[in-house]
Amino acid sequence: MNTSPWSPYRPADAEPWNLERAWTLRRRAGFAATWAELERDLADGPEKAVDRVLDGSCRLAGVPSDFARTAELLGDAAAGSSDARRLQAWWLFRCLFTHDPLQERLTLAWHDHFATSQVKVDDVGAMHRQNETFRKLGRGPFGDLLRALLHDPALLAWLDAPSNRKQKPNENLARELMELFTLGVGRYSESDVKEAARALTGLGVTQGRFTMRADRHDDGPKTVLGKTGNLDPDALADLLLAQPATADRLAWRLCNTFLGENVADAATRTALAEQLRGDGLHVGRAVDTILRSRIFFGPRNLHARIGDPVGFVVGSVRALECFAPRPPSTLLLAEWTERLGQALFFPPNVGGWPGGRGWLSGRGVVARANFAAALAEGRLHADGKPPDFASLAERNVKTREPDAALKLVSEVLSGRVLDPSSADAIQRSAGDAGSANDRLNRAVALLLARPESQLV
Amino acid sequence: MFTRRDLLRRSAFLSLAPVVPEFLDRTTRAATPDRDGRVLVVLQLDGGNDGINTVVPFGDENYNKHRRELRIPTDKVLKVGEGIGLHPSMRAAADLIESHRLAIVQGVGYPNPDRSHFESMAVWQTAMPGKPDAANLGWLGRALDAAPRGDGPALIHVGDENIPRALFSRRAASTSFADASDLALRLPPPPAESATSTDDLTAFVNRTVATAYATAADLEAAAAKPDGGARYPGSGLAKRFELVARSIKAKSPARVYYLIQGGYDTHSVQAPAQSALLRELADALRAFLDDLAASKLADRVAVLAFSEFGRRPEENGSLGTDHGTAGPVFVAGPSVQSGIVGQAPSLGDLENDDLKWSIDFRSVYATLLDGWLNLPADEILGGRFSRPMILKT
Repeated sequence: MNTSPWSPYRPADAEPWNLERAWTLRRRAGFAATWAELERDLADGPEKAVDRVLDGSCRLAGVPSDFARTAELLGDAAAGSSDARRLQAWWLFRCLFTHDPLQERLTLAWHDHFATSQVKVDDVGAMHRQNETFRKLGRGPFGDLLRALLHDPALLAWLDAPSNRKQKPNENLARELMELFTLGVGRYSESDVKEAARALTGLGVTQGRFTMRADRHDDGPKTVLGKTGNLDPDALADLLLAQPATADRLAWRLCNTFLGENVADAATRTALAEQLRGDGLHVGRAVDTILRSRIFFGPRNLHARIGDPVGFVVGSVRALECFAPRPPSTLLLAEWTERLGQALFFPPNVGGWPGGRGWLSGRGVVARANFAAALAEGRLHADGKPPDFASLAERNVKTREPDAALKLVSEVLSGRVLDPSSADAIQRSAGDAGSANDRLNRAVALLLARPESQLV
Repeated sequence: MFTRRDLLRRSAFLSLAPVVPEFLDRTTRAATPDRDGRVLVVLQLDGGNDGINTVVPFGDENYNKHRRELRIPTDKVLKVGEGIGLHPSMRAAADLIESHRLAIVQGVGYPNPDRSHFESMAVWQTAMPGKPDAANLGWLGRALDAAPRGDGPALIHVGDENIPRALFSRRAASTSFADASDLALRLPPPPAESATSTDDLTAFVNRTVATAYATAADLEAAAAKPDGGARYPGSGLAKRFELVARSIKAKSPARVYYLIQGGYDTHSVQAPAQSALLRELADALRAFLDDLAASKLADRVAVLAFSEFGRRPEENGSLGTDHGTAGPVFVAGPSVQSGIVGQAPSLGDLENDDLKWSIDFRSVYATLLDGWLNLPADEILGGRFSRPMILKT
């Protein structure tokens, strides 16, 4: 019997393949599923459901045939505009309409890991290119990603690399490289930071492009983590990638991305780090392991995470099928994620977003409720027309009856069946004013704003 | 489309009663002692403020040696003690010392200092150095867990950052807002889930959501009231201090407010950035204390300002400074023992090129916890610490 915590989940009486689990998979590895997608996943079983998430075929609707071309046009236009809001809107367009939501989830995770802010970089084109690097390399060997980032103009400008010169060291990049990007805190000494800063001298940015300035590089011998040599940036990256601590840090990052609060203990993370060490730090295969595991589908991992703002905003639009026939304004969606506490391309600092319980600030809570109201009132769409949830019910469960619609909405939003007393309380709060549609939309907004809907 | 918020708030909150007892009908209740009690405002200078260019040891012969490019000329500093002067942009802080409302605690730090922003900030926010554990609660959250439970938020973070860990608590309610535009709820609050959830995360979410709605309504009402001529500078920090003042004036039950001023991570071209930040800090602090004094509330308030670490005495090659260790802490309000507390670390006696600390930051916390908030400091901090003379006796 395989006793690894990462052994694959197999449905059992105590842990059946059910709505909660199919819902959890799609929330965590993407941005929520529609009812039809959940039904298909439930019918086909966990293995196929995970396969589809991994191979980018999990979405049944709302993937435009010209997605790739449109996304590229939007991205290039945003990059050329010097308007960071358009870049945010571009990314939300990708999250909303891509065939491969897992790729965007990982891109978000890398944006959090190598957290770089436009506030200091002040170059929309560079932020765009960095984001495409996360997307392109974020599922392969971690070393490829790390080496690319050490040549990334946005990251280098963010961490003062161009002012780190021979005999004039600036430790900013060296410290964060070891503390946040690879080893993790406590796995190196202050002297390692100073020596690594010397190894990183010469990295530069000229007119937005990466340059290596040999005249600024300190080519004397350095000693980092007990190894002495004439280290340059690439050699330093190799040295750090070979450290066991880097796999530990990476395992922590991936658990932090996909699992609930306190779900993976130290031993569990260590087991994942061992896989990573034996597998060239391959991110995609570690994600495969996580998403298929008993840990992932275990009872402790269900509803054990406070959803991030991007997941809440995009997930609500996806689950409620508000993406068709008229798409919402992605500029507005970007504004909402910011009000909820996650301004894309503007992480609060190099540590990224604290996340977890930190998401539920007072303003975040009020903003979530107000987003729910905006969605239900049709204010996310340019034409201001409220969504028609009776038709959503008719499409999915063949009835327009308000109680059935509310039950359906509750299940796609929270992954759980709405108990009758909560349903009554919501109906009461929604009140009697207006048409039947008005009442239903108010109830949907209340469902979305309730505490339970903040957990994924 | 939504009916009037106030009307629905009343009905919707009835079902929240188990979570927030007596939360709503505040107007019918007499003020409890809590509402007239003492308040601590904590200001986090985020990024690691360069202490020796804030409280400048111009009398230390080694200052000029370490600070060749970033040196503040002796004739520019605002002298506040023997060989000690404030950064020239902190005129308002010098005025606070003149009017006996500002204490500067020198050389504050902790054993085995960590030069990581995140570790060091976690140490300051949890007051548990050497015990890295993601589950550690915040020092202020623990403090208010130990306080009698009021009927509203015990801790309010005013800012648009994620809620800081210092406020993480087991039971005490906390919430956070940035400005008046965050407060208008366009939705009747959803009915609460079962308030008695045994699951910690679910209980947290229920409590936090309910507290957020109720506090939004309170602060919105406070922000709408005309305010008798308080004068604040136009900075974001000043606006946050103003919201704190309004909340105190509106008899909020909160005993702790938390604010963050970011931008102190000055690895390059430090001088103009730090100068602007220190000016914003000093001006906002004076405006806040003057506003409360005019409302006869200043005696209820103490302000603590800290940074996660100071910076290395030796400047780097890009007109900036890298991460260091000990630094000064400010405590302000009419109840403080105004002036310099403790000894500035000597620039001629460094350890690994960094300043040695002389006062443990938990001593400052302890003084404020039992000396100011009347809470059991030793229990909250898990040990006995000295009590520097920061408060008037």
